Amino acid sequence: MKNKLRALRAERSWSQQELAERLEVSRQSVNAIETGKYDPSLPLAFRLARLFAMPIENIFSDEV
Amino acid sequence: MNCLSRSAATRRYLIRFAIAMSAYILLITADAWCFRIYHPKGALAYGLAVLPALAIIGQIVIVGLYLAEEKDEFQRNLFIQVLLWGLGGVLAFTSVWGMLESFTHIRHFEPTWTFTVFWLFVGVSTPFLQRKYR
Repeated sequence: MKNKLRALRAERSWSQQELAERLEVSRQSVNAIETGKYDPSLPLAFRLARLFAMPIENIFSDEV
Repeated sequence: MNCLSRSAATRRYLIRFAIAMSAYILLITADAWCFRIYHPKGALAYGLAVLPALAIIGQIVIVGLYLAEEKDEFQRNLFIQVLLWGLGGVLAFTSVWGMLESFTHIRHFEPTWTFTVFWLFVGVSTPFLQRKYR
């Protein structure tokens, strides 16, 4: 699954660590999601959507 | 477990695991000493012999507690992956060794070492998974 997490994070000038703290996950988790090595669960995807104040489908796409 | 980030659940896991591991070392040392000096018999011997295994069962429970308490789903997933590598490794190792024991004159593998071999495979797989998700 592709995502725009890195771009959205960059727009806000957040480091991976800052985003991880806001999501209450590890920095390694943020990196794994950004690089597409790990697809988050629906609850975590919703937390991301709330944090960036946009729908989930604006962050994630089901393209491989 | 270096693959784990230092969450509150990880800290609790490491403390509990250190206690269980210390208990295991203490119990197995005390057992060996007791059997060498006092040669216990009957029910007492069975009870004493099983004691170190209880510490191992405790370690399994502690792993389960960590998986239940860790809120970071990615870290949970990562830990499950290293546990699967450990399980796969120990199953493969004991299968190969068992066949060698059946058909050759290789030394008998003591089942009490199974848990140690499991953690060896977990330890070996951890850096590879760390590198994958760095």
